[in-house]
Amino acid sequence: MTTSHEGPRLRQQSQDDPRVMLDIDAGAFEPVPPYPPRTEREAEFYTLGDGEMFLNMGPQHPSTHGVLRIVLKLNGEQVVDLDPVLGYLHRGVEKISENSDYHHIVNQLDPLEYVSALFNEWAYVMAGEKLLDLQVPRRAEYIRVLSSELLRISSHCLFMGWFALDLGGLTPVLWSFIERDEIVEMLGALTGARMLFNYFRFGGVNGDLNHEFMSRLGSWMSRAASHVEANTGLLNENEIFVRRSRGLGVVDRETALRMCMTGPNLRATGVPFDVRRAHPYSVYPELDFDIPTRSEGDSLARYLLRVDEIRQSLRIIDQCLHQMPDGPVMAKIPRKITPRPGRAYAAVESPRGQYAIYMMSDGTDQPFRLRIHDPSFLHLQSVGLLMPGNLVADTMAVMASLDPVMGGVDK
Amino acid sequence: MDRALRRRLEARFGDRLTGPVRQRHDETEIRVGPGDVPDTLRTLHDDPSFRFEFLSDLCGVDTGLVMQVVYHLWSETTTDWLRVIADGLSRDDPRVPSITSLWKGAEWMEREAYDMFGITFEGNRDLRRIYMPPDYTSFPLRKDFFLADDAARSPGAGVRHQEQTHTPRNAPPGRAIRVAKEA
Amino acid sequence: MTTVSRAWSRLTLPGKLIFTLIPLLAALTVGLLVALLLIGPFVWTFLTDNLPLVRFVIAATAVLLMSIPTAFIIIYMEMKIIAQMNLRIGPDRVGPYGSLLSVVHGLKVLVKEDFTPTGADTPVFTLAPVVVYLGAVMSLMVIPFAPGLFGQDFNIGLLYFFAVGGLSVVGLMMAGWSSYNKYSLLGGLRSAAQVISYEIPLTLSVVGLLMLAGTMSLNTIVLNQSGSILDWYIFRQPLGFLIFFIAATAEANRTPFDLTEADSEIVAGFATEYSGMRFGFFFFAEYVGVFIVSAMTVTLFLGGWNAPFDWPWPITVNPDPGSLGILLLILIGVVPVLSTLAFAAPFWLLRSNMPGWQALIIGFVISNLVAVAAVLGWAFISFDWVVGLLWFMLKTYAFVFTFVWMRGTLPRVRIDQLMGFAWKWLLPASLLNLFVTAGALIVLNR
Repeated sequence: MTTSHEGPRLRQQSQDDPRVMLDIDAGAFEPVPPYPPRTEREAEFYTLGDGEMFLNMGPQHPSTHGVLRIVLKLNGEQVVDLDPVLGYLHRGVEKISENSDYHHIVNQLDPLEYVSALFNEWAYVMAGEKLLDLQVPRRAEYIRVLSSELLRISSHCLFMGWFALDLGGLTPVLWSFIERDEIVEMLGALTGARMLFNYFRFGGVNGDLNHEFMSRLGSWMSRAASHVEANTGLLNENEIFVRRSRGLGVVDRETALRMCMTGPNLRATGVPFDVRRAHPYSVYPELDFDIPTRSEGDSLARYLLRVDEIRQSLRIIDQCLHQMPDGPVMAKIPRKITPRPGRAYAAVESPRGQYAIYMMSDGTDQPFRLRIHDPSFLHLQSVGLLMPGNLVADTMAVMASLDPVMGGVDK
Repeated sequence: MDRALRRRLEARFGDRLTGPVRQRHDETEIRVGPGDVPDTLRTLHDDPSFRFEFLSDLCGVDTGLVMQVVYHLWSETTTDWLRVIADGLSRDDPRVPSITSLWKGAEWMEREAYDMFGITFEGNRDLRRIYMPPDYTSFPLRKDFFLADDAARSPGAGVRHQEQTHTPRNAPPGRAIRVAKEA
Repeated sequence: MTTVSRAWSRLTLPGKLIFTLIPLLAALTVGLLVALLLIGPFVWTFLTDNLPLVRFVIAATAVLLMSIPTAFIIIYMEMKIIAQMNLRIGPDRVGPYGSLLSVVHGLKVLVKEDFTPTGADTPVFTLAPVVVYLGAVMSLMVIPFAPGLFGQDFNIGLLYFFAVGGLSVVGLMMAGWSSYNKYSLLGGLRSAAQVISYEIPLTLSVVGLLMLAGTMSLNTIVLNQSGSILDWYIFRQPLGFLIFFIAATAEANRTPFDLTEADSEIVAGFATEYSGMRFGFFFFAEYVGVFIVSAMTVTLFLGGWNAPFDWPWPITVNPDPGSLGILLLILIGVVPVLSTLAFAAPFWLLRSNMPGWQALIIGFVISNLVAVAAVLGWAFISFDWVVGLLWFMLKTYAFVFTFVWMRGTLPRVRIDQLMGFAWKWLLPASLLNLFVTAGALIVLNR
């Protein structure tokens, strides 16, 4: 394994006593691991060719979407290869869940995809309802759909702002955050929390709709569509934005299916796979909405697709409000939840893709195994395929267009 | 619950299945031995009557007696999720052939199963740890993982009370690990 | 202990200070007076014999001193205007409407720790900000702010401007290389490539204007545009103006061409390892650069200090206070008091709970403001340089606002798109401009 830096070996002064020179090579940080390569891929990546150098986009960086470390192999400004290093936000949620009651886990799963926390809870309670053989009241299902679609809009607004910020525009972030702020306040009135909601329960939701939520929702809905059009108009017709994102990070259909991508990233390549239509859950069969699909597979298509999804979500919210049935918001469940021994798998369509929970129960009140399948994990895998040939500046743009959330990636 | 799927699976893979095809709600589950995994999945992927082109999830499970690798697949031809369980891996040296030749996206999921359980996927080009640091010596999600043991070997060992090596006060002698009850 | 030391130890700290400083000051004053008496005449004759040199030194100092408040004002403008575009408020705590924030920023960079990273090339690392700042400030010397108000009127003023502007490239590369950091290296290389590429369309776009004006002296170019708005060169060189504006944006490293400091990609580019006053130099140099390119655009294409219509003034008002005699003394004593009372009266009468002293203070402040406004108005109508300066600043700050506006709105371009744009679009366009102008001149002069 060769390193790229063959210059003079500098020694560093000790912080405690400046007269002492430590035997550390100062200033020549190379992001190569301090052991010989253990796998084929490591050997392939960590050997430098002619004129190549490593650049470490470390866990502290103004632009990675959370704590993520990417080691880039550059040839000048062109990226030859890249290796993401994960684990900086790993909290051991799966292990903690094995020692927690079923009630507590809903709160544990919120900070995974913290941007859109309700979807994490939804998959979990769906899996639990399969093991408990519970029927969820219809009003609860409609409330779940309503709050989740609101959160989908909020998450996509965040994506729009972040994508523009990574390309250099300062204004769209703040305009999108106006939408997000209002939605988050709404959901705070409904669930009690602004970001980590802890709202869904086995058999329903925690509380019914209240007056404050409905009034905020009503006033927001009346201007939501025009706001969305204004925000997207700022970027869609901007020549610089379009020229930078068109043709960037193109994923074709076969690659997307092989890399197990889901969600808007897959639909932008032409595959109309949406869990809400492919494997319907909750009351989505009764609701009328389209699945936007685009075929170019580049960053611009992913961006425009998410904007289309915002419009479809507005339609769904409208229908939910009109069709909301009366009734209880939670089924009767015992205080101590002991599902039957067995396995259950439940998947929902989160704003990032297919979010799934695989739960194994052994009859006690703590799950035996809780497997969390997060879409951002697989999208990050694809960055390594999309980057080679592009420039350093595009690394962040491509990552932003895939919309990863590190909380979910690192669990 | 797709009965037709069950019949097709039994017809096609009858000899390889190590247990009955179970169905509950919208999930169908088959169990195979670890060596049969690549063939089974390839057949499920390529065969026009199955067309399970979509790998939804890959994870490891430690049942306390054996290790398992669980694959979830989705196809347009059926309304069910298909769960393929590679059963019967030993807890001392679990090995399964890798399916990265079919789905490249399984590479990181297999890395995670290796990191958390120690399951070696033969044929995975990049089987190194993904969440834990590269010099970590334990496999966290195993049922016999004991944090104090592991922390005792870390550079900060002995600094805090919970990092000293000792058995939990209430643990029975010959510490029992949790075992799954199969339905 | 001697009497002196005993007396000294019984003094308090202020006492000690006074007793040390007063003899020191006395000695210094006496020494200064002696020096003045001895060598004063020689210095005086030297200065009066070399008046242009004196003028130059004073002008250079003034320009250097003026650049810092300009940078402060532009920084504040940028923060406030971009905030308004982002539907936020911006700075509003430090000083009225947050206007003192830039000053506080300036003080902050002065007191921050100034370190050199291990492995960095220290002399080059220390000199890089100086070179960049020099490149920015030296170009201020030739800009004509008002009739008679410029640093120096070279007859190759424009050439000097472009030459000195290229000096900053050296500084950026020095910063990028000496920081011993790959991010800085990338940033330095990017900026060098960018500035060099855009210098060619920048200079070529002005050649057409040079042919029209016949001189490179900036003062003469401004004088050629006097008259009405239709005499401004923008109407005779519209393409040149456009190319100059775009190339100048790239020269000044402003959005959409600000990849050298793209903080979403390479942290802070070439300035990653800089902190404290060294970073302050880069920071100020950038904003002074914005002012300079705006000023140059205004000078070359928008008539400099000329008003859009024929300014009918200066009207010379010749007040002769001496003729009033003793009345002058009475007026000096009475007018301030009367005006204070006159402005205080409405406040005291209309607000019943205002104490008298508060009303008097308000009246005093208002009467001072009125006096200042009167003096300014007199200067405005009687000195043509005041008028010219005002028009110049108005137009320049309109362009500064445009630069800030672009920063708030546009994303940034990629390095290969930037270079492609310069070489494939701006360069041929500026050559086209050149040929068309030359052809038109030949045809029209025949």
